[in-house]
Amino acid sequence: MERSPVAFDQNFSGAVGDFSVLLRRKGLLAPAAANPVPQGGTPQKMWQPTEATTILAFKFSGGVLVAGDRRATAGNTVVYDRADKVLEIDRHSIMAIAGVPATAWEMARVLEHSFQYFRRTQLQEMSVDGKVRALSKLLRDNFGFVMQGVGVVVPIFATYDSHPKPEARLYFYDAMGAQFEATDYAATGSGSPAVRGILFYENNWGAKPLQELGEDEAVSIALRALDTASQSDTATGGVDRGGKIYPLIKIVSRDGITTLPESKIAAVFKETVA
Amino acid sequence: MIEEPYRWVEAIANRREYIEAQLAPGSPIAALGYRDGILFLTVSQSRQKIFEVYDRIAMGAIGHPGDIERLRMAAIELASTEGFTRSAADVSLRRLVHYSLSPVMKNAFEQVYGAPYLARMLFAEVGERPEEDLFLRVEYDGEIATNGATYAQARQDFAALSGTQQSREQMEALLATEHAQDANLETVLNSALDAWSIGHMTLQTDDAKEPPERAAVRKHRQEQLTNAGIEAALLERDASRAIRYRSLSDKELRPLIRD
Repeated sequence: MERSPVAFDQNFSGAVGDFSVLLRRKGLLAPAAANPVPQGGTPQKMWQPTEATTILAFKFSGGVLVAGDRRATAGNTVVYDRADKVLEIDRHSIMAIAGVPATAWEMARVLEHSFQYFRRTQLQEMSVDGKVRALSKLLRDNFGFVMQGVGVVVPIFATYDSHPKPEARLYFYDAMGAQFEATDYAATGSGSPAVRGILFYENNWGAKPLQELGEDEAVSIALRALDTASQSDTATGGVDRGGKIYPLIKIVSRDGITTLPESKIAAVFKETVA
Repeated sequence: MIEEPYRWVEAIANRREYIEAQLAPGSPIAALGYRDGILFLTVSQSRQKIFEVYDRIAMGAIGHPGDIERLRMAAIELASTEGFTRSAADVSLRRLVHYSLSPVMKNAFEQVYGAPYLARMLFAEVGERPEEDLFLRVEYDGEIATNGATYAQARQDFAALSGTQQSREQMEALLATEHAQDANLETVLNSALDAWSIGHMTLQTDDAKEPPERAAVRKHRQEQLTNAGIEAALLERDASRAIRYRSLSDKELRPLIRD
């Protein structure tokens, strides 16, 4: 990108609305990965989805609940049992990640700074559509690495929109950056098939639809779903009863983001799951 | 011609005179450090003059809107890239101003064939404790004035910015007696409004050696507030949140005014 003509100094430039463009221009962010060119004769290795984790999110009466297990794996080795995969991006937005942590955390960092940079330079909050699209673009830029077999990230994005009417919004993505708005729930990661089954069942034939659940009921379903996923998926930590490690649960509501304290999760777990 | 030293000095002097004349009508801005943070305040007729720069940094400016915008963008860009590559705690107002903004402004000012920045800015960075608050005023020629930070002179918990030096000095004199660090928001707001009023009055009178009467300042303040709105922002000291900047609306502040 060309430097603005008003620049007197390399530290100076005109207004750039997009933070990742600014970072690339300054050489602080890796360039968008190019798709690998197939070598003549050698068939290209098929991309294997390896988002080893379970993330789920659903709307309930108090906003959107986002939950993630705590296990991080490399192949069949558990490397960390307190990983934080549910990340706060701003006061009303959460990005929950399944995939390669290095890439995912970098994306979250770029995203967090992008939203703030936009608000500060443009003097208004970025719209929800703009935020959703910003994440989509980061995924698209990363797709070359995905095709090379490294750096796949499949996130969920939850936020609270105040325009045109106040409501919780929930999006899930594929590795290429396509965004889908979820009406009721979304799940991603290797343990997600089981979770999707449970959430579908609860939403249609459970005691009440997900959107009508109270906070404790919602937490209980999230814990049960993650525990179910961990039964068949080795990459999902579920609830570690011995080590007393609980999933991370955050709620996005009109007032902002609440991280549920471990004591509260433990209490719901003891009463309704264990 | 400009190559001759005398011509250059003359050209710079002319340019200084021109810029001072351009900035002279600029409405004052006051920044006051207190127990819970730093309050930025002006009474504005039209354009926004107080801005968020980074998590703990805010700025106020008078001058040409185009120049202010370029400098504001540059400050945000520098702080954001620093905060991204390292951490928010590594973004320092001192370095931002001394290392990046001041040399560029000085350079533009002294390149007599190019355009200088028609802007005068006031930056503040909120600290963990009131003693750590930093105020920096940057002039169009890159000159920097501080609130005394860590040096010999007595520290000031406030800073003022105005169109003329005389106006700014009246504001500073008032704040030196009226403002106390342990005040609450209501008291600080009223001190800031007084400072703004005395600064604004001084701008309108050419050769007022004596500061205006207290009653006259209050009267001026009341008159101005009937037509114009209060523009204000806080840098909160509360460490539970990363982003300390919060703009305050006129509606929120009116009930706190003591006449």
